[in-house]
Amino acid sequence: MANDAPLMEARGLSKYFGHVVALEDISMDVRAGQVTCLLGDNGAGKSTLIKIFSGVHQPTKGAMALDGEEVLFNSPRDAIDRGIATVFQDLAMIPLMGISRNFFIGREPTTGVGPFKRFDVKKADRITREELDKIGISLRDTAQPVSTLSGGERQSVAIARAVYFGANILILDEPTSALGVKQSAMVLRYINRTRQQGIGVVFITHNVHHAHLIGDRYTVLSHGHSLGSYGKGEVSMTELEKLMAGGKELEKLEDELQGSTAAGSEESANGRG
Amino acid sequence: MAQSATGEKPVRDVGALKRLMTRPELAAVAGSILVFAFFAVVAGDSGFLTTGGTASYLEVAAQLGIVAVPVALLMIAGEFDLSVGSMVGAAGMIIAITTTEYGFPLLVGVLLAFVVAAAVGFFNGYLVIKTGLPSFIVTLGMLFALRGLTIGFARLLTGRTQIGLSDAVSGNPLTSLFAGSIGDFSVTIVWWLLLAVLGTYVLQRTVFGNWIFGSGGDANAARNVGVPVSRVKITLFMCTALSAALLATIQVLDAGSADVLRGTLLELQAIAAAVIGGVLLTGGYGSVVGAVFGALIFGMVQQGIFFTGVSTDWFQVFVGVMLLIAVVFNNIIRKRAAEAR
Amino acid sequence: MTTNRGLSRRDFLKAGGVGIAGATLFGVAGCGGEEQGGGQGGGPEGLTSRGNIRIVMVTHGSAADPFWSVVKTGADQAASDMGVDFEYRAPERFDVVEIQRNMDAAIASEPNGIAMTIVDPDALGDSAREAVDKGIPLVVLNTGQPVWEKVGAITYVGQTEYNAGLEAGKRMAEEGVQNALCVNQEQGNVALEERCSGFTEGLGGNVRELAVQGADPTAAENAIKTALNNDPDLDGMLTLGPQGALPALQALNSSDNEEIMFATFDLAPEILNAVRDGKILFAIDQQQFLQGYLPVDFLTTYAQYGVSPVNEVATGPKFVTQQEAGDVIELTKQGVR
Repeated sequence: MANDAPLMEARGLSKYFGHVVALEDISMDVRAGQVTCLLGDNGAGKSTLIKIFSGVHQPTKGAMALDGEEVLFNSPRDAIDRGIATVFQDLAMIPLMGISRNFFIGREPTTGVGPFKRFDVKKADRITREELDKIGISLRDTAQPVSTLSGGERQSVAIARAVYFGANILILDEPTSALGVKQSAMVLRYINRTRQQGIGVVFITHNVHHAHLIGDRYTVLSHGHSLGSYGKGEVSMTELEKLMAGGKELEKLEDELQGSTAAGSEESANGRG
Repeated sequence: MAQSATGEKPVRDVGALKRLMTRPELAAVAGSILVFAFFAVVAGDSGFLTTGGTASYLEVAAQLGIVAVPVALLMIAGEFDLSVGSMVGAAGMIIAITTTEYGFPLLVGVLLAFVVAAAVGFFNGYLVIKTGLPSFIVTLGMLFALRGLTIGFARLLTGRTQIGLSDAVSGNPLTSLFAGSIGDFSVTIVWWLLLAVLGTYVLQRTVFGNWIFGSGGDANAARNVGVPVSRVKITLFMCTALSAALLATIQVLDAGSADVLRGTLLELQAIAAAVIGGVLLTGGYGSVVGAVFGALIFGMVQQGIFFTGVSTDWFQVFVGVMLLIAVVFNNIIRKRAAEAR
Repeated sequence: MTTNRGLSRRDFLKAGGVGIAGATLFGVAGCGGEEQGGGQGGGPEGLTSRGNIRIVMVTHGSAADPFWSVVKTGADQAASDMGVDFEYRAPERFDVVEIQRNMDAAIASEPNGIAMTIVDPDALGDSAREAVDKGIPLVVLNTGQPVWEKVGAITYVGQTEYNAGLEAGKRMAEEGVQNALCVNQEQGNVALEERCSGFTEGLGGNVRELAVQGADPTAAENAIKTALNNDPDLDGMLTLGPQGALPALQALNSSDNEEIMFATFDLAPEILNAVRDGKILFAIDQQQFLQGYLPVDFLTTYAQYGVSPVNEVATGPKFVTQQEAGDVIELTKQGVR
């Protein structure tokens, strides 16, 4: 269910590092219960943009808005406090540590007071087990190191953690890029469920197929500039691909290649699909 | 097996035996039993099994163990402190010089030693965080600097490198607190066990302990979720230095003298005890209980060799071999336990 | 059923094999020892047979030190002559804590006798008393003359340091020395301090103490040279051991003050050469071979027959002058003086 005001907006964001233009005049919005895909080739500026969203960087120009109100994040903690959870590529999962320890790190539940205040391990274990059950991962030992989970499971746990701690905006940085087909499917299914819970998701990827499967809106970045934002019905996968790969440049390449093969046999001309 | 909502098979549960086998302390406990059995068989009737023999190796284990506990915690948090040995020498000299050269009461000397240790520990931690250099290097520099300062100041202020303070020590209540005995057994053992219990509790049952694991496992990831990694590390550097001061106090009060070279090689022994106990050199994994058994192994070997009649030179050979065996053993176990399907 | 690739038997065998290999390695190393003897020796058996006797010697001097290696040679010789088991324990580096630990282990091993040096009367005095209280006969050697009776030892074998210094002072006074330097190369060693005190009284004149670092010969040489140059009245010098004597020899060669009468404690090949060549007036031999030999002898006969000397046994000072130097040099090469 979509709301009227966007949960989060980027209004003309620009970011310069000295003379380097990382982002120039980016505008996009994220709505509750929708997945907005942020597409672009390597170096397009996706990382920089989400670092602004998550409070790691501050914009040089422009602003962000939450529920229509302009905000400035001075640190990641500010963003977290406002309900923006970012799952970076390293997942912030510590492989050697147990799953429930990972789930609650930085936000450990405690019991007791004063000098007897301790980490409520039982509660942490119970909640971890419950939350993972909800996404279909059933554990008998929550102290298992995270490294015993598969890649897809780890992503799902990271997302479950973000959701549990009250994220209403979830930013996922290339969640499926390192995963195989089956594992990616698991993650995409889970993202679908979080969307159904009313969370606004920003899904960064350079995989157009996955974007097309899950996205409600698409924003394409290239060399720090926005090539536009589109709704699901407004653009086809092929067009997205072209946009991502550089639009006109790809057309030129196509002509070049077609020209050179046409000089050869007719079979190659037939073989083009 | 039922399909989950995400279409994956559920994660396999871990059998109880396997869980036991993956505990980091396993090699150290097994090692202790093996070493004990070895000496009991070879040297049992030469005194290893007598009360006196047991008391003597427990005391050696306790002295190393007092430092090995915080060193293990620091290593789990991902850092090394190579300066603890020099800190022992420095703290001992501080106690001796304030008492004999400047006439202060023993308590003042001991308190001053602890204050200086806390400052040195803070400095170590701060330097590591601020410069971003590997703590191995930073504390290696401190090892030399601190030892040099100790020797230099000792000669400058007293002209000597060994100072006796038996007058101040004998009859002082502090002496029974730090260097007394319960029957045949030294009070040091009590200090060691107290620190071990405290260390294990902090590591396994407190929020700070979770932060220790996090800081060592992946400092960046931990910082990103709000763990105050710098604060954790600086606190632990202060703990290692303070434990060195405690050991120095115990040794000075027990022997009635201080020596600038006390504590030489202690840092390597503490690291070895921690590694035998299952602490990973790269951090993020380990246990205090393991380090306790690691120190126990050291104690049994250092004194046990005496009862076999073999020259004590072989002690170091054994330490090296034991270390290698423990690490290989730990590695095999951990790889099997941590691998994904 | 999904296959479980967890811990397999193979892993345990691997780990176990490594463990066993290590234990074997150590076991092999453990099969060498320092035990001699085993049941010869003539005479009546007495309270216990020689084959059952074990003596442990705990000192502050590592056997790598040339002085102490002579002590150990003496002790080994006695053990072999008597047919008893003997062990020598000393730390590599002088530290009271290490010596205490060695004493703890020695006492726990319940030998028939312990021979020890008491460098630190407080810390080691306690260890000594503990041994005596447990019924282990104790002989003190080399260092600890002031306290051997207090701790309940049977006897003391060694040089009375104060006395040795006194005799040295008297001899130097006879040669006309009035202003002397006493060079101490190991601060904190009470025995050396006693030597200087005795020397001061024996000389009757002016004695200045100079502290040098025995472990650093170059620094010691410089310190001595400076002291010699700065005080032209000096006509005598006493060093307390080879670590002071050798740098002093070097310093004398290169200093301005040619008229110094130089004497030293303890022997070493270069020192004896210098005595033979007339550069050193005399060297004081504390005959440390006897400090190793006699305690083992006394502890054995005490264990067997309950007999022992009633007073301390002085092994020094024995003065080695130019006349005897030649013979003594030969014996030093054999490691017995």
